[in-house]
Amino acid sequence: MSTRRSAKTTAPPQLPLANPWLAILAAWLLPGGGHFFLGRRGRGGFFFVLVLACLAIGVALGGHLPWQFEGSPLFILASIGTLGGGLPAIAVKLSGYVGDPTGAGLEYGRAFIITSGLMNWMLVLDTWDIAWGKELEAEDSGGAEEQSDGGEA
Amino acid sequence: MNHLLLMALYAAIVGLFFAVVARRARRAQIVLFLQIFLGLVLGGIALGWLMFFFPAGPPTPG
Repeated sequence: MSTRRSAKTTAPPQLPLANPWLAILAAWLLPGGGHFFLGRRGRGGFFFVLVLACLAIGVALGGHLPWQFEGSPLFILASIGTLGGGLPAIAVKLSGYVGDPTGAGLEYGRAFIITSGLMNWMLVLDTWDIAWGKELEAEDSGGAEEQSDGGEA
Repeated sequence: MNHLLLMALYAAIVGLFFAVVARRARRAQIVLFLQIFLGLVLGGIALGWLMFFFPAGPPTPG
């Protein structure tokens, strides 16, 4: 363990694969955009479909779209989560969507909408790691089972 | 609106997401997906049953 740690500290500084700031901007603006920007097109397309499907299900259920950046801390946190959805979430908000306040899907839909934003925040972080070449470390950390085939989703 | 179906759908989306984000090998992705999916669905059902032990609120009048 100690040798591994010392090896890490003596390693030369890593250069990014691409501009990390542009990559995370692309990742935030469009779900999967960061992965696409970094050449991970298969995964980028997958995340694009998955995050947008999550947002679409939330809207179809008539869920509440949290967009309140003052007042109750919980609402602010939910709004920051939703904001993670980037352009699609902003587009839904700007379209005048308010959800269905009396509908049974208000809470369920809100869970889907916030989750889509939170997933995209995680994609932003994942994009940052990939841009700095940390993707291989993630592969290594999964154990021998993962190393047997390195197929890309 | 089928609540159980929505819960399963939510669990499937979250499971798929984390499986692809956190694992690279296909077999490891399937294992993690099943862990998250079953954990969320079965955990949700278990929590639902546990809520029977808690009062649902004040009794309705009349």
